Amino acid sequence: MIQIKTKQTGKKYWRSLDQLAQTPAFMEWLHREFPSSAEEVIDGASRRNVLKLMAASFGLAGLTACRRPVEHILPNVKGVEDYIPGKPYFYATAMVHNGVAQGLLAEVNDGRPTKIEGNPEHPFSLGAANVFQQAAILGLYDPDRARSPRQDGKDVDWKVLDDALKTLSGSLGQGDGLRFLSESVTSPSFAAVQAAALAKFPKAKWIQYDAISQDEVRAGSQLAFGQQLVVRPRFDKAKVILALDSDFLGLDADTVLSVKEFSRGRKVAAETDEMSRLYVVESRFSTTGATADHRIKMRASEIKAFVSDLAAALKVGGNELKVVGQGDKKSKWIEAVAKDLGANRGKGLVVAGPRQPAAVHAMVHLINQALGNAGETVTYYKSTLEQTRPQLEAIAELAGELSKGQVSTLVILGGNPAYSAPVDLDLAANIKKVATSIYVGLDVDETAVACKWSIAEAHFLESWGDALAPDGTATIQQPMIAPLYYGRTQAEIVAALTGYKDQRPYDIVRNYWTAKFAKGDADKLWRHALHDGVIPNTTFAEVKPVVDAKKVNGAIQPAAQSASGMELVFTPNWATWDGRFANNGWLQEIPEPMSKITWDNAALVSPATAKQLGLSTHGWMVKGYKATDTEGHSDPTQAGNFVDMIQIEVDGRTLEAPVFVQPGQADGSITLALGYGRTECGHVAKGAGVNAYKLRTSKAPWIVADAKVSKIAKQYQIVQTQEHGTMEDRPLLRESTLAEYRKEPNVIKEMLEVPELVGLYGDWDYSKGNQWGMTIDLNACVGCNACTIACQAENNIPIVGKDQVNRGREMHWIRMDRYFVGDEEEPQAVMSPVPCMQCETAPCENVCPVAATTHSPEGLNDMAYNRCVGTRYCSNNCPYKVRRFNFLAWNYGTPEVEMMKFNPDVTVRMRGVMEKCTYCVQRIQETKIQAKLEGHRPIKDGEIQTACQQTCPADAIVFGNINDPNSGVSKLKKQKRNYGMLEELNTKPRTTYLAKLRNTNEELEAKHG
Amino acid sequence: MADLAVRNDPHVRPRLVEGDPSLHQVTEAVSSIIETRTPYSWWIAIAITASIAGVLKLCLGWLVYNGIGVWGNNQPIAWAWDITNFVFWIGIGHAGTLISAILFLFRQKWRTSINRFAEAMTLFAVACAGIFPLFHTGRPWRAYWLFPVPNTDLYMWPNFRSPLVWDVFAVSTYATVSALFWYVGLVPDLATIRDRAKTKGRKIAYGVLSLGWRGSARHWRNYEMAYLVLAGISTPLVLSVHSVVSFDFAASLLPGWHTTIFPPYFVAGAIFSGFAMVVTLMVVARWVFKVEHLVTMKHLENMNKIMLATGTVVGYAYASEFFIAWYSGNPYEKFTFLNRAFGPYWWAYTLMVSCNVISPQFFWFKKLRTSIPFMFVISLVVNVGMWFERFVIIGTSLHRDFMPSAWGYYHPTIIDMLTFFGTFGLFLTLFLLFLRFLPMIAVSEVKGMMATQKMHDAHLEAVAQAVEH
Repeated sequence: MIQIKTKQTGKKYWRSLDQLAQTPAFMEWLHREFPSSAEEVIDGASRRNVLKLMAASFGLAGLTACRRPVEHILPNVKGVEDYIPGKPYFYATAMVHNGVAQGLLAEVNDGRPTKIEGNPEHPFSLGAANVFQQAAILGLYDPDRARSPRQDGKDVDWKVLDDALKTLSGSLGQGDGLRFLSESVTSPSFAAVQAAALAKFPKAKWIQYDAISQDEVRAGSQLAFGQQLVVRPRFDKAKVILALDSDFLGLDADTVLSVKEFSRGRKVAAETDEMSRLYVVESRFSTTGATADHRIKMRASEIKAFVSDLAAALKVGGNELKVVGQGDKKSKWIEAVAKDLGANRGKGLVVAGPRQPAAVHAMVHLINQALGNAGETVTYYKSTLEQTRPQLEAIAELAGELSKGQVSTLVILGGNPAYSAPVDLDLAANIKKVATSIYVGLDVDETAVACKWSIAEAHFLESWGDALAPDGTATIQQPMIAPLYYGRTQAEIVAALTGYKDQRPYDIVRNYWTAKFAKGDADKLWRHALHDGVIPNTTFAEVKPVVDAKKVNGAIQPAAQSASGMELVFTPNWATWDGRFANNGWLQEIPEPMSKITWDNAALVSPATAKQLGLSTHGWMVKGYKATDTEGHSDPTQAGNFVDMIQIEVDGRTLEAPVFVQPGQADGSITLALGYGRTECGHVAKGAGVNAYKLRTSKAPWIVADAKVSKIAKQYQIVQTQEHGTMEDRPLLRESTLAEYRKEPNVIKEMLEVPELVGLYGDWDYSKGNQWGMTIDLNACVGCNACTIACQAENNIPIVGKDQVNRGREMHWIRMDRYFVGDEEEPQAVMSPVPCMQCETAPCENVCPVAATTHSPEGLNDMAYNRCVGTRYCSNNCPYKVRRFNFLAWNYGTPEVEMMKFNPDVTVRMRGVMEKCTYCVQRIQETKIQAKLEGHRPIKDGEIQTACQQTCPADAIVFGNINDPNSGVSKLKKQKRNYGMLEELNTKPRTTYLAKLRNTNEELEAKHG
Repeated sequence: MADLAVRNDPHVRPRLVEGDPSLHQVTEAVSSIIETRTPYSWWIAIAITASIAGVLKLCLGWLVYNGIGVWGNNQPIAWAWDITNFVFWIGIGHAGTLISAILFLFRQKWRTSINRFAEAMTLFAVACAGIFPLFHTGRPWRAYWLFPVPNTDLYMWPNFRSPLVWDVFAVSTYATVSALFWYVGLVPDLATIRDRAKTKGRKIAYGVLSLGWRGSARHWRNYEMAYLVLAGISTPLVLSVHSVVSFDFAASLLPGWHTTIFPPYFVAGAIFSGFAMVVTLMVVARWVFKVEHLVTMKHLENMNKIMLATGTVVGYAYASEFFIAWYSGNPYEKFTFLNRAFGPYWWAYTLMVSCNVISPQFFWFKKLRTSIPFMFVISLVVNVGMWFERFVIIGTSLHRDFMPSAWGYYHPTIIDMLTFFGTFGLFLTLFLLFLRFLPMIAVSEVKGMMATQKMHDAHLEAVAQAVEH
């Protein structure tokens, strides 16, 4: 029998049967089987046809080895037993972010995932998802993803790689010179593969390194408790929270649960309700700082002294701690905070951010213990996947071995360390010294280019895997689509290399877990795990540790000297995280919540520091109509958004960075986000920002105490979606204090004197049927932008790029407004999502000449894309400016693979038409149809969730039927905090806001007016 | 002797036609422009203006091919140069209709030398203006949906509540009526050209156009009636068209737009800018074509006086807007006006005020309003100022409205500028064609007015003689 060679995947068919007919194998066979006719056949004119016919039957015979083995994935409950084309199915999975599992549901349309939601069954998601999770869809369909293995920079076939791996695994011996470099292992099945690998190759080493590491947190735990513990704060149980350089509602949150729990304590339904109080001390203005009731800015390196002062004020620790003079303001603050924490024993909570040194974390544990918070508002767990040594130490050792040439085989599993490892380790150059370097990664990034072999990784939405939540709850990752480019998972590669008992990812995961399901029907439990998205009884053991006070005090004692140089603080960022999402256009275009910068990072400095350095300050708090304020600060837009640049020098290495003057930034401290300035990247990421990793050494991975900064004569264009920072005394985002609200509940409504509003045309009758409305609770909103990106994913909203954002043409249907309030020295901020208000008397509807925007009987302001001619009068007449015009053909030229991201239920708009928030009308209609099919039943409250509502981690957005007095939204609208934005214009908005209340401490009241 | 005394007497009306030409000489002066061989200067001029119009064509093609994004419009400034240009050109058109219609009803004899010219200017200005409502749409191939025509696409009427639909009616009515009025007025003069025609082609062309005019008493009677009726219809258009255009802004809710002063303010501004454009063009044309005796200093002076009057009205409107913004106590209104004057667009506002309010005030002085170079410069300055007025109204009200988070800034792109520049090319090309092929002065009307003047002269002569004796 002729062996017609097929590739392992069976993909490579013959381009034509002619091609098959020409193979020597076939010809030889032909001659053997039909010697006489072969001559005839070959010479005759009918040769072609005969060959074709014969070849066809042969061709089909060779297909036996092509099919993939069948692997069943299981949908979540929202699916239907039998597949209905066009109906979406929801599958549970998890995404690993910031070292832990984020429980997700993926909405799969016709075999491809188009939307991510949080998994309501997952204890750390409860249905919510943040920006990185929502944007994962675009990462899956990124046309710039790695599509095949590469050897020495050239694409090769998977077969070539497999052969190479096989050869390599045979030559590894005891593992001398074999090193694995991965990110934190958070997958139990992968840990099993890891363990097996290290057992088979005892001389090999496995190094775990995260660019955004929790090293200091772990070290702090080690210092305080003598063991590595997982710290889980319970923000819903805390009445008083102090956050020390901890953006726990934002970038430092490990999951969305922090936000969910925190916001539970902020919702004020009745005036008599209680509210938690949040104090924030930080160097940069984060969203947590914006949500805070009280905030002071402080250099990150001074927080160590601050926390020791706090401990002294709380009389914690026993030692007579010297109160390091912080100045009157700070000592008053410390006193008030200490008093508050002391008055709320067992209900207070102190948290510190991952950038703070171990000593601070240890002191925080001590304080929590002393205040009785331990076990109440913060619980501790012993992880089953501990890190054996500090990551920095491990990778530094690896770098040393690499430079000495002691490593012959280096397997790098994700993380892009050539880009993100400390610069003094010079990993990119050292990797080149390794004989066989292998990289498994999603993109052809800096590490892929440095390694001999780079392997296209399967995206988590294409993979079998598992991951653990912070408390150990396990989730199985199931793929939503077969790997688009036949990518491999990390476990698969390690298994192949080390001869693990299971070779396929499905087997690796399933066999691990079915072995773990000791009792009961393993199959059934497996199916339940896939269906629910959680595996029950997998949480870590809770521990009730005791802090070693003496050790902690000893560590904190030498208070940080105030360094003479400029402080430089590195942070992850909301767009690329640590650089991995640089090619994700959705994330790049989401404005950074406080600075509103898109597509770039910038060195954030305070106005005073800017002045000191001689930098133009571009008056951020420019009030009023003037072109420049009294100090000559100009409006940034007018200047074309060009900012000055500085050169930052750390340890002899320099970096040129644009400067951005940020109110609320600590004086003498610069914040620079990591994860920009990528060089080996897709076309979206090119040119975005500057690479802060160039200054990040292993000595000071988070806080550099003595950076040298000087102004340089260059300019950089920084593009924001919102340039103006103040509300100009307009009652747009109304704010009061809890005390005032309790005294006079009408204070919110009285902020605006509205005369009797009479319309020209008389009122419409909205008393019948469903009437849709929405409330947005400003007390809950933390400004994370999850709603913006969920809306973008759900409604096929295009990105426009840096240049077009500069021209003011970003397309987000729901935008996040951020205003600074209070004094310039210690400003506060208020954030609010602004979608289309769906006004009952919409100003846009009157002025459209072709009636492209009309009102539905259910209260929606409808937008008919195919009727719009694009005169843009509606946009002019909208006082909220929520309408978005397709100035150019944004969707034109979308690569075919990226087109899979589109939600099939929503039109993709062409150029020249206007679009805006529709209250997710496609979801409303789907539910109405469903209700109709089920016998014209009424729609239950909460059955329809808009995309923004569904994803909001803070549950700030509530949508529903305002004609139903028992619906959630109706009850919220009855609150005295409820008001409509710009209601004095008689637009009668259906989306109303619940004013922000700050739970101020009277002792600190005077400061914040 | 007595003649001279009468002539220099300020109580006596100055000559509207100087030099006392005969009727035939008047006909000859105007018709010869059309009948002589095309001078080289005309060819050169039209080559230049046609290439500028070509730039317009290219820009519009580029716009339709790519989208509105090639301009500088953005969110929140969704209207910028496009609508500014539209209002600018429509405004300019109003002078022609005022001269033709309103001055006719007021029996102002001096209009006869300039009305044809001004009405042509109106038509060409409306043609230039009409480009913008069509091309500023995102999908111009669907712009016909603004018209109440049966359409098989969506079986829908336009939204009659929208000021843009009112614009459709106003501007198309204006174009139609102006064209009709102009054409009707042209008929006797076209007949004159036909009668003087030497070549067959010319005879046929003008013959067709003059609709068989015989100059009979019946024809004249019908003509006078038609002219009167059309003048009557055109008169309200002078006020209504620009009022409707102003409703584009006044009917919205933006501070700076939403104000009842807009209709009279815009109409005054339109007349102001229109007359300025007439003066600009007329000063050049009368010198080039040597018709200074037909379009005399008196005519120019009258136009300058109208400019002074309307300019003062515009200045008054600016002041009252500012006053009301303060008096209203509306914080958004107050802010808008302070922002206009002192914010990032202060330079546009200053230009606007100095060009529109200050410059026409010079015309209080007879010496200045009868100085050709001075009035030419002022007329240009006024049009610059009026363009900036529309830009200030549109741009500054949009760029900073209710919500500071939505505030933005507008920069024009090169396509914006070239498109506007290109419309001047179109305007001047059409104008040069008009000058070449049609009688630029309403000869029959001038001659009719001369007859009256002769009668008047005879009467004065008799009076003077009576006085002497």
